[in-house]
Amino acid sequence: MSRPQTKPLTAVLLAAVAALLRIAPLAAAEHPLVIVIHGGAGVIERAHMTAEREASYRAGLAAALDAGYAVLERGGSSLDAVAAAIRTMEDDPQFNAGRGAVLTHDGHCELDAAIMDGPGLRAGAVSGVRHVKNPIDLARLVMDKSPHVLLAGEGAEEFALEQGVVLVPASYFLTPERVRELEEAKRAEAARASASAPKGMGTVGALALDAQGRLAAGTSTGGITNKRHGRIGDTPIIGAGTYASESCAVSGTGQGEFYIRQVVAHDICAMVQYQHLSIEAAVRAMIHEKLKRTGGEGGVIALDRDGNFAMDFNSAGMHRGVRDSRGRREVAMYRDAN
Amino acid sequence: MYAIAIHGGAGAVPRARLSPEREQRYRAGLEAALDAGYALLERGGSSLDAVTAAVRVLEDDPSFNAGRGAALTREGAAELDAAIMDGRQQRAGAVASVRHVRNPVELARRVMEKSRHVLLVGGGAEEFALEEGLGLVPNLYFRTPERQSQLEHEQRGERVSDLVPPALGTVGAVACDRDGNLAAATSTGGMTNKRPGRVGDSPIIGAGTYAKNGVCAVSATGHGEYFIRAVAAYHVCAAVEYRGLTLELAVRELLHDILRGLGGDGGLIAVGRDGRIVMDFSTEGMYRGARDSSGRSEIAIY
Repeated sequence: MSRPQTKPLTAVLLAAVAALLRIAPLAAAEHPLVIVIHGGAGVIERAHMTAEREASYRAGLAAALDAGYAVLERGGSSLDAVAAAIRTMEDDPQFNAGRGAVLTHDGHCELDAAIMDGPGLRAGAVSGVRHVKNPIDLARLVMDKSPHVLLAGEGAEEFALEQGVVLVPASYFLTPERVRELEEAKRAEAARASASAPKGMGTVGALALDAQGRLAAGTSTGGITNKRHGRIGDTPIIGAGTYASESCAVSGTGQGEFYIRQVVAHDICAMVQYQHLSIEAAVRAMIHEKLKRTGGEGGVIALDRDGNFAMDFNSAGMHRGVRDSRGRREVAMYRDAN
Repeated sequence: MYAIAIHGGAGAVPRARLSPEREQRYRAGLEAALDAGYALLERGGSSLDAVTAAVRVLEDDPSFNAGRGAALTREGAAELDAAIMDGRQQRAGAVASVRHVRNPVELARRVMEKSRHVLLVGGGAEEFALEEGLGLVPNLYFRTPERQSQLEHEQRGERVSDLVPPALGTVGAVACDRDGNLAAATSTGGMTNKRPGRVGDSPIIGAGTYAKNGVCAVSATGHGEYFIRAVAAYHVCAAVEYRGLTLELAVRELLHDILRGLGGDGGLIAVGRDGRIVMDFSTEGMYRGARDSSGRSEIAIY
């Protein structure tokens, strides 16, 4: 958790001069650049991790962090940064989004994604798409090019084609590891003759604050292994798994049904705005009290307009990372700070 | 105090263009829904059963944009969305884009009670309906000549008949029972001429529908995309719970400041923890009704 930056005297003077001259102050002096990402929460414990896999996850998270940060550094928008970070994780088969997403009961990938622009509360989301390489980009097109917020299934893919998006075969998303996971989940289900707790909450998400002080949030996922065809989780639900306003941005990963019922992402922002909690305290109250009380498991990342952020979870671990213009660049996955 | 409120869509047609005949039909439909829900509350039934019953009546009534008589997609089919929420533990169920389920609110309730999910969409939702023993009906069942001609008008770019303006018809109910339990339900066909796959605010928990015991229950109707972006229904609950606003003020702020600021119109009904009903809208009118155990009973359009 970082502290708010004390404004350097020069920045205060600059702002005062700018106000007098009625010109915009140098934005960079006002707003730190920040990107925060997650690559899913769940059973992430040292005991179950090989050194090789751990290194590979860390490399994947670092690549996403750097892709997003590079956009911010060259003056790009928080929206573009969020999309760049998520696209990187969608393309990386070890995360549960895009290629390498978990499989439905029928053995398909059904992908959900959402993106939200804090200023203006604009939002776009897609659900149940099977042939779109980067669902986060399609969510962005829904936001920018349609009068709608949420498009589902074939209707979403029809829109993708109208927008010139090239569809890929369903096999593009399949990886041997996910096929094996589905088989295991089905065997466990048959053995217990009841629905087992969903595994592999490997949703990916990103939040960013740009030089103009704009916040954005995005989330992308394949959902839960062995899910029922047509099940929509919290990821594409604005307010549940994804939310951004002028002052607060949140992306969640966990048992989606609990996140929907408690409107988790928006509720964190409401606590910050109305109860004047710090972003860290609001996230803690949500994850360790409200969500835990109902039995919901998972984590969230959250970011405010001053660059304060939180990455918290009540599961064993969460893939996560943060990079900012104050020199911070770190990735972690376990309960302790690593 | 126990209480129920219902709506049959915001954006009522100008009074001058609403024939007395049609006005009578709408009023009778609202009355029947209110009766069905209130009768349950009176007998000591739950708010959850009351909102289900009221919405079912409105779904079966072809005058309203939900169930039979729903607005049609640009391909001429009915695609229905619904949600229900139980304020007791904030349990919720919802369905989107179903084409063959007679009463989508029933299916939403099954999703809440019989599945481990909250939201099911399209073919997957209908598969679940079959597993639950709900008989499917042909899509033709939902299509009425009136909606057909409304779609044709819209596709020719003409302003429509005296039906509820296409973007805004939705039905919903909120209730508070004798035990103080709150519930909300919403059901809709969405916008006329909508793109297949478009999901509006009705099935989105927190946007078109929300209920939390001790705070409030809300069902909204209006320009769905704006209600999603503002997380409208939950916004009202958060304003009451965290800022101590009265339900009236919380609703007014949402409709007339926040949604208006974004450019969206509509209305909503809400019931507070004490059974107090609020019905407000930023459109010219909203088909609505309310009844409670203190003797309030009303049906109104403008």
